[in-house]
Amino acid sequence: MLLAGVAAAKEHPGKEYIERNGYQGPSTCEAQGCHPGTAKEFLDTVHWKHASPVPNVEGLEPGKEYGMKNRIYTMCNGNDIVNHLKEIPASPVTGKTKFAGCNTCHPGNHISDVGSVGKDAENAIDCLVCHASKYDFRRRRAYKDETGRVVMGQDRSKEAALSVGRPDVRNCMVCHESAGGGVLIKRGFAYARETDVHAKNGMVCVDCHAAKNHRIPTGFDPNNWASDGIRVSCEDCHKETPHKDGDLNRHVARIACQTCHIPRTGGAIAKDFTRWTQGADKFYEPTTLSKEANETTPVYAWYNKTVRNEPHFIGPKGSREEMGSRIYPFKIFEGKAFFDKKTGNLLSMDFAPPMSTGDALAGVASAAKTLGIKEYEPVPGWQTIYFGSTHLVTKEKALTCFHCHSRNGVLNFRALEYAEKEEEKLTNASIYFDKMAEQQKEEW
Amino acid sequence: MRNTMLVGWVAAAAILFLLFAGGVATADEMKMVGDVVKIEISGPNAKTAKATLKDTKTGKLVTVIVNDDLTLDKFKDHRIVVGDEIRCKYEVQDGKNVSKYFRKTAGC
Repeated sequence: MLLAGVAAAKEHPGKEYIERNGYQGPSTCEAQGCHPGTAKEFLDTVHWKHASPVPNVEGLEPGKEYGMKNRIYTMCNGNDIVNHLKEIPASPVTGKTKFAGCNTCHPGNHISDVGSVGKDAENAIDCLVCHASKYDFRRRRAYKDETGRVVMGQDRSKEAALSVGRPDVRNCMVCHESAGGGVLIKRGFAYARETDVHAKNGMVCVDCHAAKNHRIPTGFDPNNWASDGIRVSCEDCHKETPHKDGDLNRHVARIACQTCHIPRTGGAIAKDFTRWTQGADKFYEPTTLSKEANETTPVYAWYNKTVRNEPHFIGPKGSREEMGSRIYPFKIFEGKAFFDKKTGNLLSMDFAPPMSTGDALAGVASAAKTLGIKEYEPVPGWQTIYFGSTHLVTKEKALTCFHCHSRNGVLNFRALEYAEKEEEKLTNASIYFDKMAEQQKEEW
Repeated sequence: MRNTMLVGWVAAAAILFLLFAGGVATADEMKMVGDVVKIEISGPNAKTAKATLKDTKTGKLVTVIVNDDLTLDKFKDHRIVVGDEIRCKYEVQDGKNVSKYFRKTAGC
């Protein structure tokens, strides 16, 4: 009886209404006093706007909103403006076209696109792509309507609507696993039992990223700028002294949890937007070097949750002296693209021309035209980006004393602003020898 | 002394046999890129599926058995459909190609 009660509590109400009336989109969700005003509210979130005020990144225009709507960086050299969803010109080899663009994952119908407002935008929200467990992705495909507009289809079937509920991992990963040009390319983590202790314990994304009125808390990834203004951190669940061992707890003041508990990373390590490689379908993609989740090691740096933002570098600010800084792990990425010799700034790219013919400069020219840039001098160059490393959490394989405090340890103490003598002391087994010897005795 | 040497030879032979047998048992991993031409799953609760890919280099049809939940899920909700280009790794086990890696090449 208790179990039946639990099952009933999970059942989303209103199914009889959907059975009788079918599903028409957000208006159905808001009918009969359920979820009133939610569609309008959703239009003001990062998932719809792909932008927000960004107070912690240097060098940005005050008052302007930033995000994948308008950013340029070398993981995604385009953005929603210059590389919006469109029909890519036919491959000269096959004569076939295809649909592609940065905003393919936007939860609208593309007619009402990133940041749009009003009743049409509200009606265009694809609630079910995030909330249905039986969504049919054959319906979420781009196509051209009778007037030639590119439309993103949606599954508004009764079957999908009847499976509505809290988002599962799959709902989130539909978009978040294939960002940056392919599966596990951008962030390089697989949220799976084998690779993350939270997944192993049955937790889903929204257990930590628990939305408040569709505003999703995020961390302080130096390269993930837009946020809904609310943040998530390990300490939300794990207290500030999470270990039984007092020595480990003392580390928490200057060492982020991720540093020990996320010892590996993965995904793209480098990408070249100046050199596109033809794929099996005869379309071109930027040449990319990529590794699996857990295949690469992070780089460690002081981070005070503010970001240095320069044309050739996006990464953490912080220092040992500053008490608000802690040592964090980062996935490091290097991207090659065209910079404007006149201004030194990174130029953006419309992917349609190079995708079809491999001509990267034609993509730069198309983007410049869209942005009204008349004079520029493209020169190739590299940009280094530090991505936050906040998934692939492990308990069993967490770093322990000797992983850092040894001559061949993972931390470069000199780069972390420690003096030579301090480094000598910090990389000596005397720091932990007695303690680990005791532990070893207990283990065996 | 002779007994000790005999035991040594037998142990060495056993190790060699195990190494050799192990090498035979470990199937080679094959890699390919191809378009999906057919997906066969036997219902929403199916724990296995057959996917036929057309190798883009050779044009040959290759059928692989897919057992991992994540990919099966993508077949069931049609995130992976006929026509999608796939990067696949598989091993030949008991005469069947068993998928070890099955991902769409496309991203956003």
